[in-house]
Amino acid sequence: MRVEFISGNEASAEGAMTAGLKVYVGYPITPSSDLFEYLSEKLPERGGIVFQGEDEIASINALVGAALAGAKAMTATSGPGLSLMAEGIGLACMVEAPLVIVDVMRAGPSTGIATHVGQGDIMQSRWLSHGPYNLVAFAPFSAQEAFDYTVKAFNVAVRLRLPVILLSDATIAHTRERVVIKESGEIEVEDFKRPTVPPEKYRFYDPDPRDLVPPMAFLGEGYYIHAESLSHDERGYYDTRPSVYRRLVERLVKKVERNKKSIVASKSYYTDDAEILFVAFGSVARSTLALVRDLREQGIKAGLFRPISIWPLDDEKLIEASKRAKKVVVVELNQGQLVEVIEDALWHHQRYDVEVLSLPMILSETPSPDEILDEINSKGWKLW
Amino acid sequence: MEKARKYQIIIAGRGGQGILLAGHILGKTLVKKGYYVVHSETYSAETRGGDSRSDLIVTIGEEPDLIRIRKADIAVFMFDEQMERYAKWVKDDATVILDSTYIDKPTKNWSKIISIPFSKLAEEKVRNRRVANMVMLGSLSVITGLFEVGLLKEVVAESVKPEWRDVNLKAIDVGFEAAKEMGLG
Amino acid sequence: MVETQEVIKYPLDDYLRTERLPHIWCPGCGIGMALQALLWSIKELHEQGVIDRKKVCFFTGIGCTARASGFVKFDAIHALHGRAIPVATGAKLGNPSLIPIVFSGDGDIAAIGGNHLLHAARRNFDILVVMINNMTYALTGGQLAPTTPTGVRSTTTPRGNPENVMDTTKFVASLRPNFVARYSVTQPTILRTVFKKALPKRGFRFIEVMSTCTEIFGRHTGFRDPYELYSRLKKICKIKKISSIDEIKYDWENEITCGTFIDKDDPSFLDMYFKMYKPRGMVYGES
Repeated sequence: MRVEFISGNEASAEGAMTAGLKVYVGYPITPSSDLFEYLSEKLPERGGIVFQGEDEIASINALVGAALAGAKAMTATSGPGLSLMAEGIGLACMVEAPLVIVDVMRAGPSTGIATHVGQGDIMQSRWLSHGPYNLVAFAPFSAQEAFDYTVKAFNVAVRLRLPVILLSDATIAHTRERVVIKESGEIEVEDFKRPTVPPEKYRFYDPDPRDLVPPMAFLGEGYYIHAESLSHDERGYYDTRPSVYRRLVERLVKKVERNKKSIVASKSYYTDDAEILFVAFGSVARSTLALVRDLREQGIKAGLFRPISIWPLDDEKLIEASKRAKKVVVVELNQGQLVEVIEDALWHHQRYDVEVLSLPMILSETPSPDEILDEINSKGWKLW
Repeated sequence: MEKARKYQIIIAGRGGQGILLAGHILGKTLVKKGYYVVHSETYSAETRGGDSRSDLIVTIGEEPDLIRIRKADIAVFMFDEQMERYAKWVKDDATVILDSTYIDKPTKNWSKIISIPFSKLAEEKVRNRRVANMVMLGSLSVITGLFEVGLLKEVVAESVKPEWRDVNLKAIDVGFEAAKEMGLG
Repeated sequence: MVETQEVIKYPLDDYLRTERLPHIWCPGCGIGMALQALLWSIKELHEQGVIDRKKVCFFTGIGCTARASGFVKFDAIHALHGRAIPVATGAKLGNPSLIPIVFSGDGDIAAIGGNHLLHAARRNFDILVVMINNMTYALTGGQLAPTTPTGVRSTTTPRGNPENVMDTTKFVASLRPNFVARYSVTQPTILRTVFKKALPKRGFRFIEVMSTCTEIFGRHTGFRDPYELYSRLKKICKIKKISSIDEIKYDWENEITCGTFIDKDDPSFLDMYFKMYKPRGMVYGES
């Protein structure tokens, strides 16, 4: 265990190394490149390979290959690069390749403002690829969480055999903070879930009925695995029968729901008696927390719910945090994406009594608490 | 100063004055001291001559929330242009430290202003104007009492390239002595 | 009473997922011949102790040829259209002891996967790429490929192909990887020898195999009879020794030059990486 003063990107890189990263494949893109550069320097001496792909499409596909070969694999990118990874992420979901993608969100759309922050990839991170599938995304709000949740991202990826996205942002990525770095043993690091039957009985997509996740043999071990991007049966054989397709897709979607309890993460602040509940994540949650503290000093019963797992959302904790809330204000650095997730969760739990207010901030910088307050005042909501 | 739980610090100057490194070293030192530190940087695209700014938020015993400072309790300006630009980010009752090599008079009447010719001292006593940032950090140790100069030197020794080590350490001593002589401790 | 017939085992049965046969390829298709030659070469190398078949992995994209991954009894990944090369690249990075073979078609490798082909060859990255060239998009019904001869009709160029054609072998050779060859399914014995030569080598190895697609390409060019198409290909695929890669031709009317055009042993990507970066605790072959 050691204490370092490092940026969010460096903390993610350290987290990946603690988790046992073996293959990093990336393509340079601001504001993620310094993570790539940091690993280029450090990973070989920790027993891994760093490789620069010809584009993000190459990077994500190479991760699928590396993961199936039994290597813990990661890439880092930003919006435009993530867009290019759409199809490859779908492949990773379909062949059930565990891997981690750090998305350092920047101001979009399109090339946007490369050096400036945004939070516009919430929906993208979940619905990026075509067709029905499921994956997991965590959003850190500090360099420490960038470390902790990169480790957790790897744990969830290997436990569930799927891609996990670390939804960081340019502000978190480049802010230096005190970070406690732990090594494997000091923090839980999970290994791949391995076959328990001999090769002749093994099937690459035969799920463990408890968690719906098939144990994973690696390439080159004599199991003769067949990883298939087409609809397939438990052996990986192409099969178009509706019953086989349905069995496969339902499992791919349900394996996240089934294991939700071990995935979800969130933090609530001052919510016991909060009548106005703010919801924010990532760097925006830092300013929102400061604003909530200001409001508390003025005697206003404000609280903050901060989702860390965005997909899936820690909805039970949201419901708990909002139990006295009359109004929920969702602050985010985009045109209003998280608000839909929050509204959905509240309605799902029959909380029709809560008024959900969207506070989208169209800025290319993390707003200050005063800027958030100004934006609220400009809406004329009369919250207090 | 010791009683407050939270310090907001701004260090600003021109690109090339080592503002970002100073922020990094200061942050690292304060983390070693056991404090929570948040350090963010602002800089223009030019490597030399543009704006350069380090924001540090230091909290003692409580995890920080903010990333950017709201208003600084401690401000260090190494060049007049950035002092003018960023003066609005400084509290009226802040401790404001100026490099008098480049700043003739303060933009505002802050309640506590300390002028030290960091760049001139670096030039004259260390024969290298580029280490004015370290001279400044040496003085800052005395002025704020937030960290010991020995700890600062430890951090610098492990952070800079070996060939830069001695000149940086000497610069810290120069700044430390200068502040002591002025009776700022 | 019916007598129990003795089941005669085909020599390559151990290398096939026989339960998945028959395969999808049409009568007259050349892919099977190319795959057979490849499997023979693997079998021989395995039996001679040169390679361990457990380490051989097939990587395919999407297309008729790419379906091979479902029929071979090896570790096999049927990946996305055009992306077999990067998937193979990642697998080799993840476990450098693997022997990746990319086995896919011309549309997959030269068109949508062209950028990956370019850079894998440039890096001299340690994989074998076998590109089966049937000069069309066969699986999807006969659309234009970069390898479709100029003037030839396709479903997306109904009045003939107005484009210049891509000589993939010449293109890859310009990037100077360790091994570049082009042969034809009409030369099956030679193919087997060439695969055997290329498979154990380091660095990037590219083998283009000219093939027959009677159903689609044959229909568009007036060669509906498999024998006629095969004969035509046999006639124009001329094996030559050349002194410069500029001499090779890709001309459907007259000559598609065949031969082994590059065969060298320069340090591969992984040789260079391991030498320069020395990843802790990892080894690459004998290096």
